[in-house]
Amino acid sequence: MNHVYVYDGDYLSLLNTIFYLLKTNQKVENIKPENYSPTLFENIIHFNIPKQDHLLDQIIQSFGISVARAMYYVFLSEEEKKELLLYYFVYYALKYRKKIMYQRNLKCVREVLRISNYVLHESHKLKGFLRFQELQNHLLYAEMSPTNDILFLLSCHFSKRLKNEFWIIKDVKRKIISIYDKKKFVILSEREFKLSLEKENDQEKMIEDLWKTFYNTIGIQERKNDRCRMNFMPKKYWKYITEVRDEL
Amino acid sequence: MDLQEKLKILADSAKYDASCSSSGSNRKSKHGVGNTALSGICHSFASDGRCISLLKILFTNCCIFDCKYCLNRRSNSIKRAIFTPEEVCSITLNFYRRNYIEGLFLSSGILKSPDYTMELIIKTVSLLRHKYHFHGYIHAKAIPGSSQKLVKELGLLVDRLSANIELPTENELKRLAPNKTSQNVSSIMNYVNQNQSKKYVPAGQSTQMIIGATKESDLDIMNKSASLYRSFHLKRVFYSAYVPINKDSYLPSIICPPLTRENRLYQADWLLRFYHFQVKDLLDFKHPNFNTMIDPKADWALRHFDEFPKEISTCSYYDLLKIPGIGVKSAKRILTARKHFTIHFEDLKRMGVVLKRAKYFILCNGKYFINHKWFQKEWIEKNLVLEEKIEKEENNMEQLRLF
Ligand code: SF4
Repeated sequence: MNHVYVYDGDYLSLLNTIFYLLKTNQKVENIKPENYSPTLFENIIHFNIPKQDHLLDQIIQSFGISVARAMYYVFLSEEEKKELLLYYFVYYALKYRKKIMYQRNLKCVREVLRISNYVLHESHKLKGFLRFQELQNHLLYAEMSPTNDILFLLSCHFSKRLKNEFWIIKDVKRKIISIYDKKKFVILSEREFKLSLEKENDQEKMIEDLWKTFYNTIGIQERKNDRCRMNFMPKKYWKYITEVRDEL
Repeated sequence: MDLQEKLKILADSAKYDASCSSSGSNRKSKHGVGNTALSGICHSFASDGRCISLLKILFTNCCIFDCKYCLNRRSNSIKRAIFTPEEVCSITLNFYRRNYIEGLFLSSGILKSPDYTMELIIKTVSLLRHKYHFHGYIHAKAIPGSSQKLVKELGLLVDRLSANIELPTENELKRLAPNKTSQNVSSIMNYVNQNQSKKYVPAGQSTQMIIGATKESDLDIMNKSASLYRSFHLKRVFYSAYVPINKDSYLPSIICPPLTRENRLYQADWLLRFYHFQVKDLLDFKHPNFNTMIDPKADWALRHFDEFPKEISTCSYYDLLKIPGIGVKSAKRILTARKHFTIHFEDLKRMGVVLKRAKYFILCNGKYFINHKWFQKEWIEKNLVLEEKIEKEENNMEQLRLF
């Protein structure tokens, strides 16, 4: 029988679980979110431990802000065993403290670096690739389906950039939406908030056409290079990118 | 003429300008629309693989001048269009809100006079900033020959200002662009350089040179770039391979734009700015042009073969920078990492070193990547040329498949 420890599904609860397991010296085979469906050979272990809010501050103080960030990015990834990876990482980080990132001979350090870079990279790409449409009442609406769970990171970016707008960003894959009201954003699941949107609208079509005209004009025919374009703008994002959607 | 058609004409005329970057400015908004990102954001990639981050358009493609290499020259019979300032604002804002773009790149042909054109550009940008409170990125062209007062005014409104030097030597400029003088361009650069601050052209100035429309050598071009970086602290010099759009006895009759050459110049430009190389290290009167088969850094390393192989675990930062395949970032990573553990070949890859180039020039703890007897100039040169060829062919294959 494998012992699998489960947590609430949010980051703080994962950190709580990890620190509790380390403190109590338990044997750990896997850590998974609540909604996970176990196999026959797995034994699920729940425990009710009080959440300690100060854990985040503690991590920032003892490991440094960039390590704290990297850990959070790993949590946002779709990596199969990210919880277990973070568990091992914290184990060594408690030993090496601020020097943990130099321990490149440790596999967990290399993995945390690789995965956090990947998440950060995707969120940076989508800062550019996300496309809003204007719906009625000047509401801006965007859909995406990113590999990693970057809705929170993107919401931080757009609450600065589109500060004086009402906007909604929807992660179609995860069925979650972020709603911004010119002051702050909240992230809700689709169950909690039903979206009913009227999409067709002439003015919007006119502007999309203007943009497509610009896009199709600006490329230089003599320098056509599709391989290069695809490298920078992978096909998996095209479905939601106004100017290339039709090329699919 | 409707807006669609205007945009088509005025984007088409602007597309040969190489610069697209939107970095280097950190504008925050309290009220109003938008901000700028210090590291720059690409919003899309055009069919030629270039990043689209700004709405790159001309205010008008009408022009009283007749520069030989330019699509918009007076003597060409092409469709002409002129935007109104409000039209430019409306497109910019609508695109920006939908996250199509990072901002605006506004250039223009010359209408009536340089001053008259500058005033139109200023009017447009000032509407954007003051009436619509737009805080996104704006890059504007300063029109050579316009008065200093206008250059001053425009610089207070934009993030980046640029004046194109176009050609590396005065003689060629006279021949191909008889209405322009490099004096006009350098006086703008000089003014911007002396006044640049957080409030005035915060993202600095850049310029562009056309490559392959004239006979100048790579050495001429690089010397010009180096002197521009030195005298005016430009952020970037852009190189734009000449695309044969006009037939003219003044111009070379080429079919393809010289893209390999353009690429070599960018590589060398990078070496000047970040790797402590000087033009004289790379080119001289005997070799006035870059080797088309090998990139400039590898070429330099082969010509200084007795300085290699370099030992990764001990050599200095400056020596690390001279190794082909090692960049500023990876050199710094090596520096911190080697304090904590001994670096092996496998580690280098993770640190961002391009091993397929670097491996020929380095030792890791006294070891070469294969038997040391292979450390010979001819053998390495052959391999490097082969690597480049494969890379290029992969690219070309792709292009062939498309046609
Ligand atoms: S002044 Fe500018 S737009 Fe006019 S012909 Fe010369 S390069 Fe072209």
